Amino acid sequence: MFKDLDPILHSQLRLAVISLLISVKEAEFTFLKEKTNATAGNLSVQIQKLKEAGYIDVIKQFKDNYPQTICKITPQGVKAFEEYVNNLQSYLSANK
Amino acid sequence: MNPEEKQFNEKESLQLITEMIQKAKANIHERGTSAIMWGTVTAIAGLVSFFQQYYNFYIGFDIWLIVFAAVIPQIFISIRENKVRKVVTHTERAIDSIWIVYGISIGCLLFYINVVPDVSAKFFEADHGKEAMQNFPRYIFSSGSVFLILYAIPTLATGIISKFKPMLIGGIICYLFFIISCYTTGTWDMLLMGLAGIINWLIPGFILRSRYLKGKPC
Repeated sequence: MFKDLDPILHSQLRLAVISLLISVKEAEFTFLKEKTNATAGNLSVQIQKLKEAGYIDVIKQFKDNYPQTICKITPQGVKAFEEYVNNLQSYLSANK
Repeated sequence: MNPEEKQFNEKESLQLITEMIQKAKANIHERGTSAIMWGTVTAIAGLVSFFQQYYNFYIGFDIWLIVFAAVIPQIFISIRENKVRKVVTHTERAIDSIWIVYGISIGCLLFYINVVPDVSAKFFEADHGKEAMQNFPRYIFSSGSVFLILYAIPTLATGIISKFKPMLIGGIICYLFFIISCYTTGTWDMLLMGLAGIINWLIPGFILRSRYLKGKPC
């Protein structure tokens, strides 16, 4: 059953990002970096993978002449996260 | 965290989810600036109005105009807070919406208070003639009571949503003030409105400010 876990989400940093985004309406890249303690490069790569999977939306804009990246979870991302948690719970129940 | 290389099991996975959700929750930091400002303005306006009516003097202008004036610093406060805000939580979004709707409702109530007496007078005159107009009151009875209901709504809702007891208690006290105001004159209603400003917003605002300065989430 553990094999069925979504490979996109079954990565520590991507799961951390999705878990943060599920709790908020939207978050800046700097917020995600601060909370996950990841490097900017690694975080950018993982955010791109989540975006390509359709799990998050990434908005790039300028704020006070500085580039700003805002991330928000999509309905598809919410569904994938819920399925991932359900699968985890099933796995844990089966191993009790 | 070096996430790509490190393998993790299902328990660690659940721990990570819980940890991140807690981190996102702990990030809600309200400075209390708006609450302190609106609490101060409402308290000053209410108490000055009460003392003017009770001791029969006039300061030369309508003190409630400071409430309108407070909209300008509020715009600057909102812009500044949005600039430093790195994340918008669902709770913050819900609370912001409640206060925007409250602002619109207060505007509508002021419009109602200014328009309805004259419109009612016209209808009354049309029905009963000019002679009957001598004793017709051209004001809304106990309008302070309606303001107190409106003050209570966003305060109590914010207290419930954010589980912030000072505003929850403030909102409940404001409803008690509303009941009292139904039995008192307009002069005492002004006192209740001033006290509502202190209890609903000024005191919770200072508590929020104190927590923010100590770095505690709220």
